[in-house]
This record gives sequence, C-alpha cells and structure tokens, in this order.
Amino acid sequence: MQVLLQTLVGGLSFGAVYALVAMGFSIVYRTMGLVNFAHGQVVMVGAYAASTFSMSSRLPFILAIVVAMVVTGLIALVMERVLRPLENKDFDLMLIGTIGFGVVLEALATIIWGATGHAVPTPVETGPLDLFGVRVRTYNLVVLGIAAVATVLLLLFLQRTKRGAAMQAVAMDHEAATAVGIHVGRSNAIAFAIGAGLAALAGGLVGPLLYVSPTLGGTLGIKGFAAAILGGFGNIGGAIAGGLAIGLLDSYASGQFQGYSDLVVFLAFTVIIMIRPTGFFGERTVNRA
Amino acid sequence: MNPSTQGDLVVEDLAVHYGGVQAVNSVSFTVGAGRCLGIIGANGAGKTSTLKALMGLVPRKVGTLRLGDHDLTKVKPKDIVRHGIGYVPEGRHVFTGLTVEKNLLLGAYLRSWKGKTREKLAEVYEMFPVLGEMQHRLAGALSGGQQQMLAIGRALMSEPRLVLLDEPSMGLSPKLVEEILGTLQRLSASGLGLLLVEQNAKLTFEATETCVVMENGRIAMTGSSAELAHDPLVRQIYLGL
Amino acid sequence: MSSLLRTKPAAVKVAAAAAIGVAAWFLPYGLDTYGIHVVNIAVVFALLAVGLGLAMGVAGQINLAQVAFFGIGSYALAIFTTNSGLGFWVSAVLAMLATALAGLFVGVPALRVQSHYLGIVTLGLALAFTNWVTNAQVAGGASGINGIPAPPLFGIDLTNEYLYYYFELIVFALAIGFALFLVRTALGRRLRAMRDDSLAAGAVGAPVPLLRMTAFLTASVYGGAAGVLYAGLIHYIAPESFSVANMFLLLAMVIIGGRQSIVGCVIGAIALSLVREALVDFSVYAQLGYGSVVVLMVVFAPTGLAGLPRRIRTAVQRRRHRTAPALKAFRPYEAATETTESGSLEISGISKQFKGLRALDGVTLSVSPGEIRGIVGPNGSGKTTLFNVISGIYTASGGTASFNGRPLVGRRPYQLSHQGMSRTFQNLRLFAQMTVEENLLVALDRTPMRSAWQYVVWPIGIWRHERRLRRAAAELLDRFGLSDFAEDAPRSLPYGIQRRVELARAMAAEPSLLLLDEPAAGLNGQEVGQLQEIVRSIRDSGVTVVLIEHNMGLVMSLCDRVTVLASGRVIAEGTPAEVAVLPEVIEAYLGDSFSTAEVVEAVETEALQ
Repeated sequence: MQVLLQTLVGGLSFGAVYALVAMGFSIVYRTMGLVNFAHGQVVMVGAYAASTFSMSSRLPFILAIVVAMVVTGLIALVMERVLRPLENKDFDLMLIGTIGFGVVLEALATIIWGATGHAVPTPVETGPLDLFGVRVRTYNLVVLGIAAVATVLLLLFLQRTKRGAAMQAVAMDHEAATAVGIHVGRSNAIAFAIGAGLAALAGGLVGPLLYVSPTLGGTLGIKGFAAAILGGFGNIGGAIAGGLAIGLLDSYASGQFQGYSDLVVFLAFTVIIMIRPTGFFGERTVNRA
Repeated sequence: MNPSTQGDLVVEDLAVHYGGVQAVNSVSFTVGAGRCLGIIGANGAGKTSTLKALMGLVPRKVGTLRLGDHDLTKVKPKDIVRHGIGYVPEGRHVFTGLTVEKNLLLGAYLRSWKGKTREKLAEVYEMFPVLGEMQHRLAGALSGGQQQMLAIGRALMSEPRLVLLDEPSMGLSPKLVEEILGTLQRLSASGLGLLLVEQNAKLTFEATETCVVMENGRIAMTGSSAELAHDPLVRQIYLGL
Repeated sequence: MSSLLRTKPAAVKVAAAAAIGVAAWFLPYGLDTYGIHVVNIAVVFALLAVGLGLAMGVAGQINLAQVAFFGIGSYALAIFTTNSGLGFWVSAVLAMLATALAGLFVGVPALRVQSHYLGIVTLGLALAFTNWVTNAQVAGGASGINGIPAPPLFGIDLTNEYLYYYFELIVFALAIGFALFLVRTALGRRLRAMRDDSLAAGAVGAPVPLLRMTAFLTASVYGGAAGVLYAGLIHYIAPESFSVANMFLLLAMVIIGGRQSIVGCVIGAIALSLVREALVDFSVYAQLGYGSVVVLMVVFAPTGLAGLPRRIRTAVQRRRHRTAPALKAFRPYEAATETTESGSLEISGISKQFKGLRALDGVTLSVSPGEIRGIVGPNGSGKTTLFNVISGIYTASGGTASFNGRPLVGRRPYQLSHQGMSRTFQNLRLFAQMTVEENLLVALDRTPMRSAWQYVVWPIGIWRHERRLRRAAAELLDRFGLSDFAEDAPRSLPYGIQRRVELARAMAAEPSLLLLDEPAAGLNGQEVGQLQEIVRSIRDSGVTVVLIEHNMGLVMSLCDRVTVLASGRVIAEGTPAEVAVLPEVIEAYLGDSFSTAEVVEAVETEALQ
C-alpha cells in the first residue's frame, strides 16, 4: 500500500510535467492546427536554459525558469515565422518542418552544452515529507504546485482576457476571426510562444528529477504528445487528464515491467487511441475543411 | 456619427483568382452611404468571393476600393473593420465554443471592451432580445436563426457604417427568413449601409433598392430591385424560364 | 524543344537508366575498401528510403516506424542465424516475414487514425521496439548481437565488400524496378489517389482500408530487406542503429530527395549518407545542416530535389504562354437498346444527426431505373448530406436504404462503387497531383484488391491489364473531348474543364447510378448546355441519374421528377411542372416575388416546346 501510494505521488509529479508539455502541444494545435513535433526539443532547451541559469548565474530557481521561458518563447517566434507560409495549407508538410526544427534544436543544444548532459541538484533542500505515513519528496510537491498554478493562470488568460478570447476565436474560425479584425498570424505567434513557455516550464521542473541531456526532449516530447492526444487533442482539460494518466501509467509500468516500461506505455497508448481516436474528452479541432 | 454623404463604398474593377480559376472578374459597383445594394446570382457566380475580397480575406486585384475618403485598396482586414465595414459571413461562422457575449465582444475586438462597447452590447441585446437571454450560453448551442442574429450582432459591435451580409437566409425556415428581412429593414432604417449577397431573390428585392446580378464572376446586369424582379434574365436564373 | 521539355520520351529515360546502371557496375573500381563500405551502407539506406517514400510520399501515410522495420529485419536475421542456428537464407526469409507481420501490425492503427495521430502512434511503436531490443536478452541488450554471418552464395565470398556490393546492387535494382512498376501501374495509382483525396478515392472504388495496409506492408518489406542486407553486411547490430534520431535522418533523406518520387528518395538517401560520412567528425554540424535543409525544403521546395525540374518547367511554361488547347465536343454514348433495369434507389425514413443538428429528418424517396431525378432545396437543406449518406461517406443515424435491391447503409464507399454507384462532388475533388488521364485510370480500374498478388508472381498480367486500361482511358478522354488535356494537372485547367473531368471520372466506373452534386455550379451558359446534353446521353445509355442542382433551368428541362428538400425533410415530389407550382415549394425555395400564375404560365410554355 505504502509503495503504491509512493508510486502514485511520483507518477503524479511526472504526470504534471507531461501535462504541461501536453498543454503546450494542445494550445498550439487548437489555435493554429499545427502539431509541433519540435516541442520535445523545446522542453529540452528549456531544461538546459533553466538549469544553466540557476547553476552558473546563481539565479533563484524560479527566476531561472522564467528566463528560460523567455528564451524558448523567442525560439518559438522564429519557428512560427519560418513556417507561416504553410499555415492553413499543408498540414503534413508543416509537421515534417517541425521535425526538422527539432533536429536543429537538438544539434544546437549539443553544440552549446555538449553531448554528455548534466545532473541538476534539487532546488528544495528539505528532506522528504511525511504525509499520512507516505514519504514524499518535497520537490515532487513543488512540481505539482507550480504546474497547478501555471494551469490556472493559463485558463484565466484564455477565459478572462481579450487576447485569450481572440486566440480561441482564431482556433474556432480563423476566417471569421480575421473578419472582426484579429491578426491571425500574431495570434498564432503568441500561441506558439505560450506553448514554448509551457515547454520551458516543464523542462525546468523536470531537470532536477531527471538527467538533462540533448536527448531528453525526445521521450518527454513523445510522451507529452501522447498525453495530449489521450486527453483529447486541443483540449486543455484533456491535456491535464492525459498528462496525469501517462504519468501514472509510466510509473506503474516502470514498477511492474522495469526496463520495458516504454514498450508497455506505447502499446497501451496505441490500443487506447484505436478504441477512442479522439481521446477522453474529444478533439478540439480547428476548421480544416 | 451621422452617416455623411462622403461614406460611399466605391468598388472598381475587382478581380479574384483561385489557382487557375477566375472567380470574380472586373466587378464594379457603388453602395451609397446608408443605402442598400443587393447582389444576387447562382451558386458559384462569385458573390461570396466578392464579399471576401472586399474584406481582404482572399487575395484580390482591385482598381479602386474606397469608403468615403479612405482608400482601402491596400489595407489589411483589421483596417477595413476599423474604417467602418462589418461582415456577416456565409454560414454564420460564429465562434461556437465561446459564449454569446464573448462572440459579441470579439466583434469589437479593435476597441476597448469598456465604456462605449458596453453600451453597444446593450444596444445589440435590445435589438435581439433572445441574445440577451442567452448571453452566457455557448454560441454553438444556439439555433440556426439565433446564430444568424448573433453573427449580425457581432458585425454591429464594431459600429460599422456599412455591413456586408453573405446569405443571411441560408438554411433558415421561411418564418425566420421573414424575421431576418425585418432585421435588415430596421438596420437600414437606422441609417446603416448594407451590401446583401443572397440566393433568395425575394428577400433581396424586398430588402434593397438596387441590385446587381452576377453570372460567372461578372456583373450581368444592374437595376432597381423592383424592375429586376420582373426581368427575364433574373427569372432564368431563379426559375429557369 | 518545348515538346521535349514537356514529355521526356521513354527512350531518354531508358538510356539514362542504362547509363546509371553501367556507372554503378564500374563504380567499385574507383573505390578503396573504406569507400565501398560507405557506398554499401548508402545503398541500404536508399532501399529503406524507397520503402518510406512508398508509404509517405506515394500513399500519404505518415510512417515514423520505418527505422523499426529496418531493425526488425536486422534483429530477426541476427537472432535466427546466431541464436537459432538457422542458415542465412532461411533466416532471411523468416526475417522478411517477421517484418511484414510487423508492418501489418503497425498499419492497423492507420485504419482508425491518420495524419499526426498516425505519426505519434507509429513513432511510439518504433520507440517500443527500441525499448524492447535494448532490454531483451535474446536481442543482446544494449550491446547488441555480433557474429552475424555473411550470406553464402554459390561459393562467392560475400564477406568481401566489393562482391557484397554487387549482391546489394542486384537486390536494389530489383527493388527499385518493382517500386517504379508499382507506382506507375494500377495499384500505385490507387495509392496516390488515396493520398490526394481519400474520400474521392473511395468513391471511385479504391478500397481505402486495404490500400492503407498495403502501404505499410510494402514499407515494411522494403525495411525488412534493408535490415537483412545491413546485418549481412556489417555482421554486428546494436539498438542505436535503429534510434529515433536515425528515423529523422531517414525522413530528411526522403523529404530532401522528394518523397513522391522513387528516384528522389534514392537520390536523397545516397546524398545524405555520403554527406553524413564526409562530416563524420562533425556529426553535430551535419545534423544541424540536414535539419535546416528539411525546414527550408518544406517551405520552399515541398516536392524535394526530384520535384525541381518540374517546377522549373512550369515556371518556364508560364512565361511563354502556350496556346490553350480547346475542349472538344462530347461524343454521345450509344443509346441502350433494352429498357434499363439496374440503378434503382430506394430510401426510406433516412435520418442523419450531427452534434445537435438534424441534417436529415426521415427522408423517403424512390428513384426508378433510367430516371433523371432532380433534388432541389435551399442551401443547408440537407441535399449534400443525403448524397453522402447514399454514397456511404456518412452512416445514416436511422432509416433504411437500398441500391439495386441491396441494402446500402453501412456499406463503404468503395463497395458501393463496385456495385455500380458513382458520384461527383460539389467542390470538385480531383486527384490534384495526378494527371487528368491518371484521374480517369483510377476509376477505370475495377479489379478487386485480391488480384494484387499478380504484382508479386505475374507482373505480365498487370502489364496487360495496364494496356487495356490505357486504351479505355484514351477512348473515354476522346468521348468527353478531353484528349488534349490528358497530361495536364487538373488544377491548371479552367473550372469548366475540371468539372468535365470529374464527370468523365465518374463515368469511367461504368455505373448504373450516377449522383451529380451541383454539376452546373460555376459553369457558363454554353457549358450548362453541353452538360445537359451529356447527362441526357448518359441516361439514354442506361444509367440512372440523380442530381442536386440550383440552376432551375437545368432541373426543369432535364429531370423527369424533382424532389424538394427543406430543413432536412422532403416537402414535395413530382414532375418539374407539378413541383414548381406548389405553394410550399415557392415559399421555401423560390420566394413568392414570382407569382404562382407567372410560374404556371411559364411551365406550360416550357412543356409545349
């Protein structure tokens, strides 16, 4: 029972990271109908940037993550600008274009930070907490807390601000959005930058949990994407549910099947998608007639 | 905000290409300030493309496009909205996943959402009480007729001088078409200019003073709505006689 | 000169192929042992890339598991030879079978999901594979498997890389030959049609689910062959050769070379393999380079290197306007001598519900053989939805329907097509990246998928069938006056001609029931006249026609009976003259600015003429 609960909490904090990655995928997809296959690499760049700033510049951990979010946001703006000619035209080509960007980012990270990677010390020094008899790493709770705050802020932005409403409008009907005066390109760029910011947040938070290396993005990106699809692609609530589900599935599978956990996770994912192609909550698509 | 006589919409030599297809070809017309012009024609005649081109939603070539003194030949869609043209797209195209109120507010996207926009919102609710009743419902949950009113209301939120309407009667029952006609007449009476694209000739002739008939991307004829209603070409398009 | 540019004669192609063959044969004489090793690896990647190109570029199936197919081929061979002690050739056959099975397994999700969903599923399965080989004892874990034997071949020592090159070359030539044959004949055309527009492909009889499986099967067989060659070449395999990074490298090869062209895939694979080898000490920069090139390619040259000549050609042609060939007159079908008995359509109480919207509400109608039926109604009244239900694109939410006495609800579009139903679409759905002739050829091909076995054992049968199809296409092009446009891309043609092509494509399937969705939309007066003549002739040849139309002139003069829909219900049915005077029809559709008396008078005049 104790072990199960401990796995649960560990799974949930990884799940929170996957949820952040998944939200990044979803917000980009619902506003511009693009699957950003470079998203995982953006997470990786965010993890490197955050850990570098906090370790070498001695910035406070949270501030380092914020700086990393700005850095990845700028990268996203470049990506969106380059791929803009393909928007609302060829979906598959754009997808391949983002794969190309992912390769570039991974190469750049290797050039800047080297191929070997580094470990990140946990920013929370206190020992494990005892919650109802379950020993929980304090940092796991910090991750959960920050992810929850970020989610709330994102939802407030989408629901309470004019810009947020405009972004949703673009997602639902980009032509009608243009016709009321919304600049669709700018809205897409902002969506892309927010997605990248979420990626950097996820990367910054996951750094102390994992070993930061150029290949970190691959697995995180793919699992985050799987999470987004599992919840219902483009659906923010779905992304959270999907992220937590993948996190739990992941930690359960590594407990039960050790090295084969990826195999189990992806087979399970494939089966679920075949049964329910639109995920738990259904896809929030853009109009792509 | 008196609609001045300077507010004519002047279109000269408008052309739209899609790939190899010429959808609109040397189309010219004028909508007098506060007047109503109808465009009728068969499916594929280029009516919708004409409106989209005016809004800058599709690539276009145009000799002259101005509203009053403002030259609109090169400006972006948001400047067209800013200069006082509202647009009600074919098939309504409301933002289905947002509330009625958000939809209306987005109509005033280029303005501050406080002060005057709130007054305008109240005005729209007064004009379409049903929208007021359903202000917190999702637009996707509205019936076709209600969505059409929402689309019109959304266009009014930017306080336009001229509204382009693309087939407001589409998919609506005859009774609702009557209601739409009433709405258009009220709008027109308030001094708003209307450019109405329709397949429903009856509605168009009743709502407008002047009409153009489009055929294969060109203007086939222009005349007063009363005359056109009895014209052989119009009957050919609508009745095949 | 310009004609040479437009259609490169087959002789030029044959000569080019021969020259490349000779060059390839003598290539080893100029290479040291390291050089030949690099070339051998490049050939393996080329084979792999062709497989990926067939799935992605030709069939439009996003396949990010190609590197896993490669791995399965290699690992299966390694395990069978070193662990089970089987001979090389037996192991090779088993390895190919294993890969083919894996291909079918990975293809199953494609039946349910497409595009990015398929991308993540295939990528996930590829990761699952690497995860398995890194952990499984039988696969040697992270250290992999060594001691894989070279293939024994009549005493030829294939551990010698020079000789292995020739072995590879023969396999490769066969594989390329097969791929080119596939792409240029019936099955490949169906795959390309599915890529361009899967809905239209289904409607002209291409069995989309089977084709998707075929795409993955073919990709996996090429991947398996590449895997066997690779393991036999380097005798040692480890998980990192089949990593996601290599998958993206492979993808870059295919994109840069040109995913829709077999030759392009080969060029991309060989070029990138060589570049990677040249930059082996700067591999990160190579990665940076090919990543950037992929991005630039998708934005500026989406058809890859292989697509460049055509782009240049069209740019040149656009500059010097070629005189537009004219649409020729339609040559009428011969009238049927007996009365038509097939093509009947019975629809009873059909409903179709979309989220919250009732698009069709208990529609009942019956079309008898040999009739021309018009369906009219205001925009949004459910006409096209009705067509989509009849042709199997949507499944009805309620009610029953039958075509030629056989129930049609639940049947797939391609099955209905093979039973003799054919249709056109409101917004033209031509296969955009195929020529006009190929558009017709897809529909002319009525062979069931089970005869695809001929590709493997009896290509001559395919070839003969191909010649018959081409003759039929020429005949059909001529009948519809389209001969001058046979080689053109549909998009480059004027709208009226595109409409004519779609009509010809629908007739290519020799249907007994033809559904036309707004065939006159966008046509000018003269073209509407021609359309009327064509539809009459089609009916007289024994085909039942149902058409949705807004052009009331056409409906009045062409249709035997008219059904009027409004808000998803049938509000009237009868002869055009009967229907046009019904008050509810005038109210719903025509608008009462035309007084009833005028209409009656006009209809009577029409009837007299």
